[in-house]
This record gives sequence, structure tokens and C-alpha cells, in this order.
Amino acid sequence: MGEQSGKFLLCSHYILIFAWAQNAWDMLSDEQSQKHITTGSGDLNDILGGGIHCKEVTEIGGVPGVGKTQLGIQLAINVQIPVEYGGLGGKAVYIDTEGSFMVERVYQIAEGCIRDILEHFPHSHEKSSSGQKQLQPEHFLADIYYFRICSYTEQIAVINYLEKFLGEHKDVRIVVIDSVTFHFRQDFEDLALRTRVLSGLSLKLMKIAKTYNLAVVLLNQVTTKFTEGSFQLTLALGDSWSHSCTNRLILYWNGNERYAHLDKSPSLPVASAPYAVTGKGIRDALHTNLREVDATEQATTVFLYLNVWHILHSQIEKQLQGGQLPIGMDNS
Amino acid sequence: MRPPGPTVPSAASSSSYSQREPRPENPLLLLPSSRVTKLSLGCPLLDRLLSGGLPAASVTEIAGESATGKTQLCLQLALLAPQSPLSASSLFLYSDLPFPLHRLRRLAPKSRPDILDHVLVAAAHSPTDLLSLLARAQRLLANPGRSPHRLPIRLILLDSVASLFRADFDASPADLRRRSALFFQISAKLKELAYRHQCVVVVTNQVMDVVEGDAGNTVAWSSGRRVSPALGIAWANCVNTRLFLTREVDGDGASGGARRRMKVAFAPHLPDRSCEFVIRRDGVFGVEPAER
Repeated sequence: MGEQSGKFLLCSHYILIFAWAQNAWDMLSDEQSQKHITTGSGDLNDILGGGIHCKEVTEIGGVPGVGKTQLGIQLAINVQIPVEYGGLGGKAVYIDTEGSFMVERVYQIAEGCIRDILEHFPHSHEKSSSGQKQLQPEHFLADIYYFRICSYTEQIAVINYLEKFLGEHKDVRIVVIDSVTFHFRQDFEDLALRTRVLSGLSLKLMKIAKTYNLAVVLLNQVTTKFTEGSFQLTLALGDSWSHSCTNRLILYWNGNERYAHLDKSPSLPVASAPYAVTGKGIRDALHTNLREVDATEQATTVFLYLNVWHILHSQIEKQLQGGQLPIGMDNS
Repeated sequence: MRPPGPTVPSAASSSSYSQREPRPENPLLLLPSSRVTKLSLGCPLLDRLLSGGLPAASVTEIAGESATGKTQLCLQLALLAPQSPLSASSLFLYSDLPFPLHRLRRLAPKSRPDILDHVLVAAAHSPTDLLSLLARAQRLLANPGRSPHRLPIRLILLDSVASLFRADFDASPADLRRRSALFFQISAKLKELAYRHQCVVVVTNQVMDVVEGDAGNTVAWSSGRRVSPALGIAWANCVNTRLFLTREVDGDGASGGARRRMKVAFAPHLPDRSCEFVIRRDGVFGVEPAER
């Protein structure tokens, strides 16, 4: 075994000589064997380095209606794309804290995914019959482990239970929590306790992502925070979460279009990309003149996240100074 | 042979729920074909806008200026619920006094004199009042056997959430935080009731003027004003579906009528689209787009 390791050092399936340490080569091949979950939009995948990463926690925030739940459901479907079609062939855990998981929409998104697979793989009927059998919306639905929780105690319980559940269901490759802060935004007598609980939950989720080699996706709401003399848009309960997510994606409106802004990533540059919510799910936006979108161009719609980002959209600021709580961007 | 629906933990056991292991549900069993999940508005055009009607286990907000049809819709729904496949009583919580009893009587079908038995009504004077009403509702929903002559409650209406927060709150950051915390408490309770008892929950909301700036998916023109639902982004985070009722005054004024529009501002299961409607004596009904 040791000799083979010496010969085939770059093979991603070799056996480590020293089990307790990883050198840089190990980590690189580890990263390459990490899979990404496609979002359904090529532009969005590009800024994410291929898609949502396994072994990492990704926070996705945005105003109501911009498409957080749509993206969450899309990922829960796309994780199931069979390996022979370029997917992970995994299952999904969807923890619904708000009641946004509408099964008829999930069915529609599953149908859209299947239609696209069949379009891209027109000879799929030549594949094995077992592969073909999987391409039914009902199978996609059945492979989502759906938890509906109604209080913060239930949320704590289900996240605590996840480790045991995932040990018994090793084919789960994504855990989506929609949304992660809703039940914690009520009045808590002991705010320090709330912070400790949230920190504890976020550490647990990071551990789960790494241990079970899956993607953890946390959908979060946007709120206004009174800092430095004015109201600014920020992600809810940011103080408790800011350090705990590996990646952060902010969804926002720019005029009539939906954009995603990669705000935090260990390896990728900050960038924005447009996307669309269609009948089939999340897809590329239709652009007549698709142009390179970089952070400075999108400066008008970047959110403030605590002290890291600032709202540069003067119209939002004017609204806020006028005593109005901002709503979102244009969609007429 | 349809598989039985998933067992939903009842409200009575909600305190012990966290002591049992969480159980995942199979989304296949939640498909509409396996049970009634929508309440029709009594009009095929409006139902088409909503892909069948208002969903159960979900909070739908109906926002609009005054006299755009919000209360009328609520009364209509309360009367439709017992006759629909949902076959349910409704709980009508009102904060805009007085309760429109005359209108309800007028809308009630003559063929069903007993229908008002299935509309329970209670006044909510403040947010804390509402919370205690919801706690009572929880007990009522958990013990349906106590009133066998009445259909189980599966429709909860709140008209309106904005009136509850009119007094008592300034615009100071501390008060806004306190107000927001109450939004989440109320919403969590409504959503819990909606889920545990498969109820349709409808909340009406007023609008406020938006001074300037870009429109969002929750800003619209109504009666020549740019308006947005009240209570801001915090409350917007608390509802699943937002429907916007607007009124456009016809340019020439010759037709004498206002064009009314029901718009989907956001919904997890619906595309952004809208439908024209009218308010008649017998209720709110969608109409095909008028010829120009």
C-alpha cells in the first residue's frame, strides 16, 4: 500500500501514508474531489467556482421575494442529478422554518430539471434502465427529507438530531435551512443566551458539513439595522452568524433584474452575476447585451453587512433618512 | 388507494414535540392530490391567478389602500369556507372596529341560513391581545370535539395587522425593534397554527406612501400614489405570500369606475402576475382585461 502511494502520488484515490496529517497535495486533490452543486444558472455557478461547495457552509441572504427559497429548492433538486449526468446523485435535507416549501413548486422545479437533463443528454434512453427510472419528479420529491419546524426549540432539536440522522443516511449531500433566523427574531429575555445558542448551532453545522462531506446552505432574511446614525440593510442576526459561514451570497434587485453577489469566500473573488427565477426554477438571466459585471459596477446595490460592506445606493439611503424602511429594488 | 396523509403533531403535544425525535415528512404525501390544500376564492379567474386558491399551512397577506376590497375578500372567504372542499369554519380576528356584520349578512347566501354559525369572530385591540387570542385559538383547534355541531376551524383571518400597531409605537429604533420582535412572534404563532391544523391564514395590511426611490416588488401605484404595504421589511419577512390590491383611476374618468387589480407581489409558488377584478354586491370577482 505504501509503495503504491509513492508511485501514484497524484491519484485522487491513493491511500495516505500518514493518516493524521494532510500535506498540500492531499488537500488539493481533496478539493478537486469535492463536488459542487449546480445552481441552475451558469453565471451564478461561475462566480461560485462551479456551484455550491460541499464541506462548506454557505449563507444566502436577500429581501422577501428575491428568490432565496427558489434557490434553496433548486439546490435540493439539483443535488439529486444522477452522477451519469454530471451531478452528485445525492439526497437532500430541507429544514423549513417558515412554511415556504410549496410542494407543487418543488414538483415544477423537478420537472424543469429533468427536462433540461433530457435536453442535454438526448441519448439518455441508451443509458441503463436504472438511470432512466430515476428521472421522475416523484423520485426527486421522495429523496428530499423534509422537516417542518415551528419554534426555535424545534430548530435546535432538529439540528442536534441531524448528526444521528446523517450517520444513518449517508447519501445526503445537502442540508438547506429556510430560513435560519426567523424563529430567533422574537424577543428573547436573554440575548446573550441567544447569541450562544446561535453560535453553537453554527459550529455544529460547520462540523456536519465537514464530517459528512455535504453542503450546508443557510437562507437568511434581510433587516434594517440602525448603525452610525442611519438605518442600513443587513443580514438578520449578523452578529451571531458573521463568522460562522464559509461563503456568503447576497441576492438583490438591480432595476428589474435579480442579481447575486458573492460577498465572502475563502478562495474566490468578490463578484456579482445575474440570474432569473423561471417556471423551471433558477436559470440564467436573459441578457441582450451580457457584459462583465464586477463589484464596482454593482456598487449601487451592494448591502452593508456589519462593518464590511456599505450601502452605496443613494436612493435607498434617501429613503432611510426620510424615515421609511426600504423595501427592495425595482420590479414592475 | 391513496396513502394516508402524514401524521401532523397536534398542538397539544407541541410542548413535548422537542422531546421526541424529529421525523422527516415525505414531500410526496404533501402533494395536492392527497388532500385539500387550497381555498378557492369563488371565482375561476382569481383562482387561476393563485393557482387554485389560497394555500393552507401558509400565511397570505392581502395589502391595499382602504376600500380596495380587503375586508370584502375576507368576508367572502369566511362564507366560502364551509361550502368549499375545505369544509371549514373560520376564525375572524378584527382590529378595525366595528366588525362589518351587515356586510357579512348581506353576502351570506339565502339558501344557507346556518352559515353564520361557522364564522367565529373576536376583536383584537393590541398585539398582546392578539397573541392571547391566538393562544385561545390553539386550544380551540386542538379540541374540535367540544363543538360537534360546528365545522373544524381551518381558516383564520386577521383584519388588519397594521391597525394593531398604529398606537403605542414611535419611530425610535428601540420601538421599531420591539415592534419587529412582535411581528415575528405573531407570525410564528400564525404559521404554527397554519401548519399543525392545515389552516389557511389570511392577514390584511394597509399601505403607506413611498416618497421616492426605486420601486421594489412591493411598491405599486394605487389611486395615483406610490404605495407599499405598511410595517416595512420586517413584516414582509413574516408572510409567505403577498397579494397587492390596487386601484387605478381611469384617465378620462368617463367610465366612472376604477380599474382594480390583484397583483402577486411575491409567493413561493406563484409567478409575478396580476388580474383585474371588480367589487360587486355579491362579492369580489375577477374579470378579463377590459377592452381599451
